[in-house]
This record gives sequence, structure tokens and C-alpha cells, in this order.
Amino acid sequence: MLSERLRRPFVLAASLAFYATWGIPFVVVPLFVSVLVFVLGRWMAAEPGKATRWMWIGISCLLTLLAFFKYRDFVLVNVNTLIAWMAAQPITFAKSVALPVGISFYTFEAIGYLIDIRQGRVRPTTFMDLCLFFLFWPNVMSGPIVRARELVPQLKFRLKFEPRFAFEGLDRLVWGLVQKNAVANLLGIWVNKGFSLKVIGAPSTIDGWFLAIAFGLQIYFDFAGYSNMAIGAARLLGVTLPENFRQPYHAVSPPDFWSRWHMTLSRWIRDYLFFPINAKWMGAPVPLYLSLLGVMTLVGLWHGAGWGFILWGLMHGAYLVVYRVYESAKIAHSAIGNSRIVSGCWRFLTLVGITVAWVPFRAPSLHKASGILSSMFARFSLGTAYSSTFYVFTVVVMLFCAVEPFIVRKLTEIEERTGENGASMFRIFGRPIAYTCGLLLFMLFDENNTQFIYSQF
Amino acid sequence: MLPDSDTIRNAAREAAAQIAGRPIKDDQRLVSSGLIDSLSILRLISLLEKKLKVSIPPTMLQPEDFDDLDLIVETIERVAKAAD
Repeated sequence: MLSERLRRPFVLAASLAFYATWGIPFVVVPLFVSVLVFVLGRWMAAEPGKATRWMWIGISCLLTLLAFFKYRDFVLVNVNTLIAWMAAQPITFAKSVALPVGISFYTFEAIGYLIDIRQGRVRPTTFMDLCLFFLFWPNVMSGPIVRARELVPQLKFRLKFEPRFAFEGLDRLVWGLVQKNAVANLLGIWVNKGFSLKVIGAPSTIDGWFLAIAFGLQIYFDFAGYSNMAIGAARLLGVTLPENFRQPYHAVSPPDFWSRWHMTLSRWIRDYLFFPINAKWMGAPVPLYLSLLGVMTLVGLWHGAGWGFILWGLMHGAYLVVYRVYESAKIAHSAIGNSRIVSGCWRFLTLVGITVAWVPFRAPSLHKASGILSSMFARFSLGTAYSSTFYVFTVVVMLFCAVEPFIVRKLTEIEERTGENGASMFRIFGRPIAYTCGLLLFMLFDENNTQFIYSQF
Repeated sequence: MLPDSDTIRNAAREAAAQIAGRPIKDDQRLVSSGLIDSLSILRLISLLEKKLKVSIPPTMLQPEDFDDLDLIVETIERVAKAAD
């Protein structure tokens, strides 16, 4: 094991090397973010009177950087469409620029860091700490989005290695690999086919619903799988990253879904965007509804530069507004009450709403999305175009999601019963068997499809 | 003048219980447990301002500052100190 003094340079070098595997020039981008945020943080601390100004300059620079890499082509294509419609000369622009991996994630972490300094929650840290914070290899690609105050102190790597780090880390790592390879990738084969532009004509009603459900499951297992791998890899180094998922398809309402899905993004949006906006208006209804729609549209745009993502965000914003109106009515008229039927209806509507919203999110064009949505709701037909394996597998994964909380509870109980360091049948035999089965499943379904959906965001 | 810590704690307990619709224990997590959402915190701030007759500007705050009674007391004392 390395001495404490060498751990940080070693992890930073490993993180830089990991990032450079996507292209050596890309390393410049997170390093530039580190330099910018380091300098501004120091200036904010040195001149508290000008801290707000430096914070806004920093946020503007970071958003400009993100916009240049992520939204430039989208904006120019749409401007040119508008210009062509007005019969004017289109704007010519250079070849599109590749998106540096994880830019949406570390840009948000950097903005959070500047706001935290402004609010006096963190003190400016060293340049090396910041480089490690933005580039820490387990979560640089797709999060979880962390706060400086929860990660930077852990990146001193002062903890001595303990066997539980290995158990906890490997548990998450192996489970993440299974989620990604054995579930997400397999579902992806049918989902990619169903949403492909090459498929002419709309699917049947059954296929439309199955495709939407299958994509909802694919993206959950893909992203939760990645998050588990990131949390597990960090745990092997003794670092605890925040959780990103908590059985999201068990949500009882739209706000509940956002407290279970991509939890670290929801937390960021709540702390740095939604709360300050609504604090200004003290939660007055109209600004609240507008902010819900606006913030969720931004969440959609954060996922990618496309109208499908914007529509997805708007749909979720609308769900949140409708639920908020219902809650206000419930407070005003106690007769509405908390009956089981009403709660059950909300649970069902939430699940349906989430599933429907995945269609524009995944579809390659709004035209394709509208074709699938019209099959789901308007043009009813009962044909099936895929092998029975697709339908059976999708139902099996749905059933797994339904019993997931029960499985997690049982495993936690077993873990608690065995104690932290006590030897037990579970620890001696259970884990090696589970890891072997997991790795076999991983290898069985390994088709070199290592692309994670969220790494594109 | 800011009331003492016990008065702030009692006011916070009453206000949080009013919003959550149930009694609040000393170490109970309010925000991270989902008992109180970010909008309810604005109501909590408004209630505390009335009860304690202090001004709590929410723009420098985050929901986690209200995660339990200890944190609420700390937050109000910090905000009052900054305003002096």
C-alpha cells in the first residue's frame, strides 16, 4: 500500500490517465475548469465585498464553456432553420466539436463549489484538491454529482485500508456490472431496434408500450449500474460517494420520483436553482409553477441538446405542477383526504407519466416520438413485431423492480445479523458465489457494448 | 435581539410539527428524510420569522440548513450574527 503522502498524487495521475483515454487534448478542459475555479475561489475569499461578482463571472465562464461544447451545434442548426424559413443566407460554422466526457457533471460541481464559497460553506481549497475533486476517476464520467464539502475531505485518503471497504466496494461493483451487461445491454438491443429511424411506420399499441417500458428499464439499469460501479470503485479506495438511486419506479408521486431518480442531480437543482428562485418569491403559486416548468426544462436540456430532451423536461415540469396544484387543493379542502384509492391513483399515474415521457427522451426525432405516442394512445392495434424473448424479459425485469425493495431489505437484514467483522456462512460462501455468478452473467452478456447512456450527457 | 437557543429550538419544533402534521423529535431528520420538502422550508422560515420576530433572508441558505432542530438553531444564530 502507498504511503499517505503518495496516495493523492497517485490517484490524481490515475484519474488524469483515465480521462486521457478519451483523448489527451480533452484533459485540458477539466484542468482549465480547475484553474478557473481555483483562482476565482481565492479572489472571492481575499475580497469578500467582490465575492458575488467573482462568483457570477465564474458561473458565466463555466456555462459558456458548457454551451460551446454541448449546445453550439443545436443552437446554430435551429438558427439556420429559422433563417432558411425567412429565405436568408444561413450561418456557416466549423465542424462540430467532440463533447469532453463528464463536462456536464464537473461543470455543475464547479458551479456548486463557487456558490458554496460565496455562502461561506466551504473555504477555498488547494489546486491539487480541486483537480482531484473534478477528475476523481470513479465519478468523473457520469457522476454522482458531489459537493466539495463531502468529497474534498475524503480525498486526503487518510483512512487506513479496512476489509469492509473491499466487501462494500466489490458488492456494488459486481452488481453494477450485472445491471449494465445482463439487463441494460440486453434490453438495449430491442430498444435500439424499436426506436431506430430505419423502422418505417408506427409500432402496434402493445409494442409502443413495451418499447417505452423497456427503455425506462434500460436507462434505469444502465445509469444505476454505472452509479453502483462508481460508488463501488470509490469505496475500494475508502471514499463514500452519495447514492444516486432509490428504487425510482416505486415513486408514489412526481416529486417522490425526483427524490429517487438521479438523486445527486435533483439535490443540485434543489439547492442551487429551485430553492434560491422560490426563496425570492417565498413559494408564491404562479412563480412556483413557472419555476417548476423552467427548471425541469433546464434539466431536460442538461441531458442533451435536442427537442426531445426539452419536451421530456417540460412533461416532468407539468407533472410536478399538476401534483403541486393537487397538494394545494388538498390543504385547502380537507375532504380530498389521503384515501388509499387516491394514493394508488397517484402511484399509477406517476408510473404511466414517467414511462410516456421516456418516449421523446429516447426517440431520435420528435416525429418518431409522436408516431410511438400515437400508437400508445390513439391508433390501437394488438400486433407484436418482436420475438417473445423481448416481452418475457421485459416483464421479468419489471417484476424484479417490483420486488427490489424487499430483496434489498432482506440482504440488509442478513448483513446486519452477520455483524461488521464476524465470520458467517454468508460472508464465507455467499459473497464468493454471488460474485462468481455476477461475473459469469457479466461475461455472458459482454458484447463490447461499454457505452453508458449517461456518458453522452 | 435574538432569543436564546432553547427558545429558537422550541419555536422550530412547533413550526416543523405544524408543517409536517406530526410531532418532531430532537434528532429527527426533516429534509433528508423527505418529511419536509424544499417549499415547506420556505413556510418554515416564514413561521420562524413570525414566532421569533427575526428576519431570515433565504437567499444565502440551502434546504439542508433545516435538516434537524440543532441545524435550524445554528442557522438562525449564524444568519442573525451575519446581519449584525
